[in-house]
Amino acid sequence: MSDGEDLVRFLTQSSQFSTTLVLVKPATFLPNPRDQNTSVSRHGREPEDKLWAIGQVAAGSRTLHGAAIFKAVNVRAAKLEVVPDEPPQRHAVITGWARDADPVLQKAKQIEAALLIAGAAELLLVK
Amino acid sequence: MLFAEKEIAISHLRHLANDCAEPGWDGNAAFAIDSDVLQNAEDLVRSLPYGIPAPECAPEPDGSISLDWIQSRKRMFSLSIGSNNRLAYAWLDGTDKGHGVACFDGLSIPARVLSEIHHTLGHGNAFLRIA
Repeated sequence: MSDGEDLVRFLTQSSQFSTTLVLVKPATFLPNPRDQNTSVSRHGREPEDKLWAIGQVAAGSRTLHGAAIFKAVNVRAAKLEVVPDEPPQRHAVITGWARDADPVLQKAKQIEAALLIAGAAELLLVK
Repeated sequence: MLFAEKEIAISHLRHLANDCAEPGWDGNAAFAIDSDVLQNAEDLVRSLPYGIPAPECAPEPDGSISLDWIQSRKRMFSLSIGSNNRLAYAWLDGTDKGHGVACFDGLSIPARVLSEIHHTLGHGNAFLRIA
């Protein structure tokens, strides 16, 4: 996956973003506790109808509030990696999250990386 | 932070915990936010001193709660509260960044955490950064 490839993390909780600050909160990007990966899709903001179609599938029965759009280079800037993980089609995962024998210190390192992605991500809300 | 602001923040925390009370709230494998985590987050908000604005709150996939003070997308402080008294935190300040762990006694915000919150909010001149 090239540095310039667009990625999207779909937002299914209203608390994952701030409309006042117009940004996505860092916790949105933290890894799943079971496999230590963060699920994303390989898609940008355009075409928007396709973006939301993928998002609806990802959201399932949950409400789709919006999307965090960023690029693979933003993930790598946080010393993480993003790799394809199909199926489903266009699915990928952010890997390489910090590991530490101390779970709280591990979490602190992961938050630092999540802050970098959050700082680079664009918030796009469902109209 | 005024008493009324704290009560509003605590109301947001309870709403968030209610939304994430069941495992898998993220459609994946997120852990539920349990009552111990919520209580710790409420205690921390109650212990915030006057002058610190209410944080943004968000659920974390491991069942913790994130409290965030965000000045801009390049200036953020994020604090993670779990079920024990140890707090994970990290900050982003332009090109500077860092992380740490602190203990919360349930009554007073750890000095290091308070210093970083002030720094993020632009009150840094009055406090020595301890990192």
